Amino acid sequence: MSSSLLILNHQLTITSSTYDSKFFFQTKPKSSRSPSLVTEDLRSFISKFYTVHSTNSASFMGLSSIGTASDGMQLCIFDLRRGQHEGQELDKILYFFPADLPFSTQLSVIGLSEGLITFTRIFSPEAACEVIEAERHSHVFYEAEPDIWMVMIVEKSKESEAIWRIDALREVLKEIHSLFVMFHGSIRALLEREPSGGLTRAHLYPFIMDYLRDFLIGKKLQLPSFRDCLMERRSVQMLTVGREAAIEVQTLVRILESSAGNLPCFSLILFQDLLVSTTLSPEDTINLFKYAVLRLTPLALSSGAKSWSYLRRGNSSSHVSIGSTLPSTGSVSEQFYGSHDASPAGDNRYHVTRPLQHDKWFKGKDGFLITDIWGGDIGSLNVTTPTVWLHQTEERMYLCAYQYKSLTIILLIPLSSILNGDQGVSILKQQLLENASLKILKVEEKLSKGWGGENAYHVSGYRYLLVDGNRDISRASPPTKVTTLSKESLLALNRLREEVDAEKSRAKWDNPGREKDLEVCIRAKNNAWAVARITGGKELYMVLEKANETLLYASDAVEKFSNRYCSGTFSLD
Amino acid sequence: MIRNLSFEVKIQHNLKKCFYYDDGNKLLLSPTSNQVFSWKTAPFSPNAAPNIDSITEGPICSIRFSLDEKLIAVQRSNTSIIFFHRETGETFTHRCKSESESILGFFWTDCPSCDIVVVKTSGLDLYAYDHASKSLALVETKKMTVSWYVYTHESRLVLLASGMQCKTFHGFQLSSVGIIRLPKFEMVMAKPEANSKPVLASEDVYIVTVYGRIYCLQVDRVAMVLHSYRFYRDAIIQQGSLPIYSHKVAVSVVDNVLLVHQVDAKVIILYDIFSDSRAPISAPLPVLFRGFPRSDSFTSRPGTKESESLEASDSNDNEAIIYGEGWTFLVPDLICDVANMRLWKIHLDLEAISASSSEVPSVLEFLQRRKLEANKAKQLCLAITRTMILERRPINMVAKSMDVLVTSYALSLKAGSYFKGIKTERTSSSVPNVSGPGQGVDVNTGRTDGLGKSVQHESASRVNSVSVSRPSNYLSSETEDSSSFEPLKISSNDAQFDSGKVDTGAESSATGNPLNASVSEQQESQLTSPAISPDEMYRFVFAPAEEEMIGEPSYLVSIILEFFRSANLEKVKVHPNLYVLTVQLLARSEQYAELGLCVINKIIEPSKEVALQLLESGRQNFQIRKLGSDMLRQVSLHQDYVLLLVQDGYYLEALRYARKHKVTTIRPSLFLEAAMTSNDSQHLAAVLRFFSDFIPGFHSTSDFSTYYHILNEMNSSSVVA
Repeated sequence: MSSSLLILNHQLTITSSTYDSKFFFQTKPKSSRSPSLVTEDLRSFISKFYTVHSTNSASFMGLSSIGTASDGMQLCIFDLRRGQHEGQELDKILYFFPADLPFSTQLSVIGLSEGLITFTRIFSPEAACEVIEAERHSHVFYEAEPDIWMVMIVEKSKESEAIWRIDALREVLKEIHSLFVMFHGSIRALLEREPSGGLTRAHLYPFIMDYLRDFLIGKKLQLPSFRDCLMERRSVQMLTVGREAAIEVQTLVRILESSAGNLPCFSLILFQDLLVSTTLSPEDTINLFKYAVLRLTPLALSSGAKSWSYLRRGNSSSHVSIGSTLPSTGSVSEQFYGSHDASPAGDNRYHVTRPLQHDKWFKGKDGFLITDIWGGDIGSLNVTTPTVWLHQTEERMYLCAYQYKSLTIILLIPLSSILNGDQGVSILKQQLLENASLKILKVEEKLSKGWGGENAYHVSGYRYLLVDGNRDISRASPPTKVTTLSKESLLALNRLREEVDAEKSRAKWDNPGREKDLEVCIRAKNNAWAVARITGGKELYMVLEKANETLLYASDAVEKFSNRYCSGTFSLD
Repeated sequence: MIRNLSFEVKIQHNLKKCFYYDDGNKLLLSPTSNQVFSWKTAPFSPNAAPNIDSITEGPICSIRFSLDEKLIAVQRSNTSIIFFHRETGETFTHRCKSESESILGFFWTDCPSCDIVVVKTSGLDLYAYDHASKSLALVETKKMTVSWYVYTHESRLVLLASGMQCKTFHGFQLSSVGIIRLPKFEMVMAKPEANSKPVLASEDVYIVTVYGRIYCLQVDRVAMVLHSYRFYRDAIIQQGSLPIYSHKVAVSVVDNVLLVHQVDAKVIILYDIFSDSRAPISAPLPVLFRGFPRSDSFTSRPGTKESESLEASDSNDNEAIIYGEGWTFLVPDLICDVANMRLWKIHLDLEAISASSSEVPSVLEFLQRRKLEANKAKQLCLAITRTMILERRPINMVAKSMDVLVTSYALSLKAGSYFKGIKTERTSSSVPNVSGPGQGVDVNTGRTDGLGKSVQHESASRVNSVSVSRPSNYLSSETEDSSSFEPLKISSNDAQFDSGKVDTGAESSATGNPLNASVSEQQESQLTSPAISPDEMYRFVFAPAEEEMIGEPSYLVSIILEFFRSANLEKVKVHPNLYVLTVQLLARSEQYAELGLCVINKIIEPSKEVALQLLESGRQNFQIRKLGSDMLRQVSLHQDYVLLLVQDGYYLEALRYARKHKVTTIRPSLFLEAAMTSNDSQHLAAVLRFFSDFIPGFHSTSDFSTYYHILNEMNSSSVVA
């Protein structure tokens, strides 16, 4: 263990054996076991910790160098069970971004995180450290799997755009991990398969790189900031359908799933970028929905098609942009993490599929979506069927995606139920077309008729976010409408959401399994109202810029909205 | 085993030598030298005694009673018709005026301007009967040459054949509305050789009435087809042809089903010419004799199966031969066996017909159109649907079948025939002497065969008596409904939530069977439509299917969804219990995501039953429970919602909600107890305060003193700590 922590008479002692230094920290006399209080104490502790060290040794923790690294963001994944002996520290690092940082720097970042985790576990064994707010950085912690931690360090830069909501950043970590598990299985399982860690690193590196590419705007990584406070990452957006269309959809689902015979299979239906139907568990639904929106829906395909051309096929230039953010100088780390650009031609030690790779999905002539990500040649249409790992059934499934106009249908069939692999899948596809194509036509027509367009869920005068935590569903004002809000309003709501997040996590600890009703209204500098109402696990966030003077007016507006669009859920009882 | 019996033909009476059929009055007439025996054929009863009228002696070419049955007209020769007055015995004779024309025949009509139409080689003479002078007065003459004619009273249509080949036709419809002259038309005839010209005979042309439409069927022996023509007011349109497989054919119509007797092959091909399809309903089916029970005491005996087979062997003794030489086919559904002096009535064995076709949707379609034995058709439809589900037939096919049934129900609702049937059904179910206890639902399809027909006469007379005293009867049955039927339903629902699956079945047997037993056994002919209501779909199809299907309920859910789809298209309301069943099935197979979608998108419509079931099923799944509580709130079951909140420990929220929605029926002690168990003295104090403020006199109740005491103790103990 690189550092140890002691508490005696409300005095906290941290000993770092690696660097042979000691720090003392006085906690408040009435320290309770509540993690939030501890975090608060740590905040000041860390700030002292930094100040001491930036002066003592510049290389310590390497935090000073973060500012110079790409976009001031660091992201690491490490395993607490590994590298616990001196000289083997490198073993614990599973992923580090930026990868070109010297190992010493990487290790120091991880060392600090590890220390804090160990420290906070003393007070709260089940849920260790969640976040550290230092003077210039925020450290966001997420324990993805037991003892496997993801930490994101973002810089609080002077430019005012860099204002985050910590929970939104943690959602990014959660998303990375869940998507990774969906395609590659758990990190722990990978580590067990190959204890050296090389396999895990070879999978994590390209996966996260492909993922982060979606956040690239120009050459800058644009992480979710306060401007995104009216959206909820780990949730699904649904299409509202009438009863008749819903019945048609559900009967289609039945036909789809019966095409696979008596095999237990699952389906997901999207219209545009909205979910219409799912038979998966909420967790799997979120993941597959996300993947579909990122890579499979007509919108995702067309954005890919724009940049895709035959000339570029076969070479790896499509991931040049992500490479540019990481100067590929550190040949050591390149070897460590496996090849950066897992180009098809490259001779890797490991065969790594890159499901998040861009511009790799195409719509085939038969309406099925095809990709060569999992192997095969797209030209000859002889491709390996993609597979995903389902959280609910803990089983690997074939993923068949079919697209008709705006309708995207994803069918998941257990690997174990199809004996002859890809050949069996293509037979199944054939059956699917025979049984369901008429119905698909009908459903698409019905849904298009009822589709209100991009701004269908816009409610004029309101900018809102509605989250149903019970079912992981959210709905929000369309992004184009949210951009009309002033910065002050957004900042106010962002602040409000942080408060609510804190309140929620406190309530979760104080009273597990109980839902707390909550209402907060705050007034921003520009006289806008930011409102949050939480009841029965459902959350409503709202910005009212034209809410005139009184709180009563704002409250009325919320009430109206609730009665009209949420069947009175948020109306005050 | 193939069931190759299809028709029941019933024994009637011993006939005299020759007979005539008067289709205007549905009388079978058998004149002797000086008497006329007449039997009523409708309603059809085996041992009807004939009426006997005296007439003078003389040759008889044809004989018909007037429509009021006061006169008997006898055509003596091709020049004269003699009329007898049945009561007074008076007679008068009508003769042809000119020598060049001869009488081909005559018929009585209910046309307003005339009473009798005489068909002559020179055209039609329309006469009015003058009661005072007891003579015929000529009203109108239609001049044209006529070789022969065909007429049915059912269609009120007379077709006059003329021309070399007798294939040019003039037609008149003489109905109570007036006379319609149809345009002249030609029938199609194939030529056997270049120069020969076959002549069409009157026995090759049939007028049939199906679904209120009039068709003419013409046998073309050369082409071996049966041409069909449909009559419109201003046009005759050829409708296509049906193949024939016998040189001798005959046509009957039973319950709007067209029967083409292939006499040589001794089989019948059935057509349901409702839609444009000219495909036969089933494979060719043979005829089977089925006698009436010998004894007249059939009314009280339920054991029909045995007696039926006995009768069958009896009729064999009588040496009746199927399609014997002496068979004459009478319109629309009678067969007279002259050789054996018997009259048979053709009866469709719906069960055999439906068993002979595997195309379930079309069989259901066929059965749903049957009016004559509506209840039997209905029971068959239920049985077929149930079997289809149990056999896990392809969903597409079941979906089509659901469409058929629901569409038919919606149609019958529009036409009012469904409720007409139900009302008489209910009226009679309140008749005290309803017998036949313990008749299972699934058995009665088999049992009604012989018995059902035999009840016909009796129950028909009952309809009359019922309709006379209808207002009082109707009311009483309605009140009985609301007092006994409804509470039964609710109580069984409550029971259902306690122990899931078993009770749904129990319910169907509790509310379903008694009503239905009385319907199927007693009220066969009163049900005017075989349409199946969603309620019956639930009780007789889905609930039993759910009980019998073992294992994965996914298939049944698919079928129920298809039913919802059909019902939604036709705007038919679905029984709430079917929604409850759907929730149970989805929850049992742990398809929570789908269940959630079904509730949110209101595929499963909100109701108290559904909400309670969601709460019940939600024990394993929090989200589902949540949906249940949301639904309680949504359907404004405030009290239940408040109770639920208290139960879940949200007593403060419950109080707030109770105050807003004025729920005052829940005991304060429930809230107080909940607050006490939470061990929060502030909350307990708040709850106490709430009741003190809002319930007058709460201070003096024992609840107050008890919990006030507890609150004090809590406070003191916390101070100590």
